[in-house]
Amino acid sequence: MLLAKTLRSSTLRLALLAIAIFGATVIGLFSYVYGATASFVRSRADRAIAAEEAVLLRAYDNAGRAGLIAALEQRAAEQPGGQYLLDASGIRLAGNLAAWPPALVAANGWGTFTAERTPQADGSLVRATVTTLSDGSRLLVGQPIDDLDAFGRTIETALLLGIALIFVLAGVASVSVTRRTVGRIEAINATSRAIMQSGLGERIPMRGSRDEWDQLAANLNSMLDRIEELMAQVKQVTDNVAHDLRTPLGRMRGRLDKAYGAEGATEHERALIGDTLADLDGVLRMFSSLTRISQIEANGRSETGRPVDLAEIAREVTELFDAAAEDTGGRLAVTGDEAVRVAGDRDLLFDALANLVDNAIKHGRDGGHVTVAVSQREDGGEICVADDGPGIPVQQREQVFKRFYRLEGSRRTPGNGLGLSLVAAVVRLHGARIEMEDNAPGLKVRLRFPPAPAELHQP
Amino acid sequence: MVSARRRILVVEDDPETAAQLVDSLSTNGYRVDLAVDGDDGLSRGRSADYAVLAIDRMLPVLDGLSLIQCLREEGITTPALIISALGEIDERVRGLRAGGDDYLVKPFAFAELLARVEALARRSATVIKETLLRVGDLELDLVSRTANRGGREIELLPREFQVLEYLVRNQGQVVPRAMLLQHVWDLHFDPTTNVIDVYVGRVRKKIDDQQAYPLIHTVRGVGFCVRAPS
Repeated sequence: MLLAKTLRSSTLRLALLAIAIFGATVIGLFSYVYGATASFVRSRADRAIAAEEAVLLRAYDNAGRAGLIAALEQRAAEQPGGQYLLDASGIRLAGNLAAWPPALVAANGWGTFTAERTPQADGSLVRATVTTLSDGSRLLVGQPIDDLDAFGRTIETALLLGIALIFVLAGVASVSVTRRTVGRIEAINATSRAIMQSGLGERIPMRGSRDEWDQLAANLNSMLDRIEELMAQVKQVTDNVAHDLRTPLGRMRGRLDKAYGAEGATEHERALIGDTLADLDGVLRMFSSLTRISQIEANGRSETGRPVDLAEIAREVTELFDAAAEDTGGRLAVTGDEAVRVAGDRDLLFDALANLVDNAIKHGRDGGHVTVAVSQREDGGEICVADDGPGIPVQQREQVFKRFYRLEGSRRTPGNGLGLSLVAAVVRLHGARIEMEDNAPGLKVRLRFPPAPAELHQP
Repeated sequence: MVSARRRILVVEDDPETAAQLVDSLSTNGYRVDLAVDGDDGLSRGRSADYAVLAIDRMLPVLDGLSLIQCLREEGITTPALIISALGEIDERVRGLRAGGDDYLVKPFAFAELLARVEALARRSATVIKETLLRVGDLELDLVSRTANRGGREIELLPREFQVLEYLVRNQGQVVPRAMLLQHVWDLHFDPTTNVIDVYVGRVRKKIDDQQAYPLIHTVRGVGFCVRAPS
């Protein structure tokens, strides 16, 4: 989980880019160091060989070919490892090389060859210079450069090891930094999700390191404190408004109640008062629906998160509405799984489903069929209420969740346009989704609930 | 109907609401004491033996919930009805958690208040286990879960029987819709639909159709009442 997030992290991608640039620079630098060292070492060897050759050429200048031959023999004896050859038209005149090395047969100037294995020399790599003398003979002066070569290889190994080490260290460092970053961000994400699911009570954990992450967490936490405070204030205001409105309405209802039951009232007066009471009750119901929706939307999560069986609720609602469906000559049936477990608030889910079924019966076809289907799916529970009435036009499907919204054709059916707002609020509270589909003909309202947490499955 | 000795303590700060409460409770045979703030309510609640406490949620000095909590901590178990102008859901749960026994949202019909107070008052009295309930010529056999009227058996679904049983147990009393929903379906909210009326309507059709007199009556704006003609 964390590994997958680490690999997807933008921090890691940045780090890898940095490693690539840094790595290319290091490789370039090391190649330059290697090249410079190697050429320095080689030019030192070349200078030594050139000095040797200069001594021999002086002998040639001073004493001609015979002098050169004498000098050659002497040096060959004195200088261990030195390689000498003087030859004229393919005939060896002097030196410790038996024959012209194949690599340098036609050469003039600098070259490299591998010496043959002899009792004196051991077949090492030799750097040599070839000069054609004024009498037409050719002189070869060489020095073994095996030790130089080994030196070069040591440097090469050291540099390669260094590069490898740098890459490994940089890789480990970037992964661990990324993991740490991802871990801290994940803590913030987890808290955000918890807040969206269960209210403003959660806070981002602090590590006490007083680094920028802790500062971020502290700032976000104080922001949450502030939001919570504001929400509490809003709730307080709403409570006061509710209280201040309900108290006079309560008195009013009390007086009407008393007048309704008073002796001496005529039948006509009683009917008037009765109608007023009924209207007042309608207003009050609407008022309490509104406050209930606001409460559910504001927080109200306290009761969700208990194991609830959607199938059982569906059966109970269906049974309750059976009589209402019969009244319109229709049929109401429940189908699907025996038990569908979700986490939720039974009262609210019952009320929401009751509203959906009520709508389906009221706005469906007279004598139509209403089906409540429940199913347990791998990704949670699902409940689907379908009727075979006129349905809702696609462009109005979003609108019907708005408070007091009523479809043109349904203005004369009883209702206050708050039912679906309540359903939507309950659905949101449960982290569920609501979908409206064409039932061809009719409307199909589908509620999809997230799976119940594992701990709720235990009895 | 209601024992004249039973005393109710009403704790309510709004004078008119308090007067209406006292008025309607005393005309229904209760002796009513009134406290106008939380402190007053606490000292009265401590000192006397009441059948029911009817306590407003928002009170000056000491609010309703703290008042109930204080009483409960002192071991006073008198049933308490919380009367609140605040919404349901959270508030109801909070009220019941604080030690309240029932919750009524303002504004309410007095019939509903009476029904709830009566239900709470009866709770403290001993409950006799009956096996047969009777009202008029209707008989409910609680063992076999069957009903008959005038000797003719009436077919009822299990839930319909429960509804009828609850209404008959409270015969002569008004049973508000929300109480019916609470006791038969274990749901704690005011239904936003009129479904209870339709459901009780069907039960009524089974019970009262083609009978000499009706037993199940609708009480406008409140709920239902089962009673035989006197």
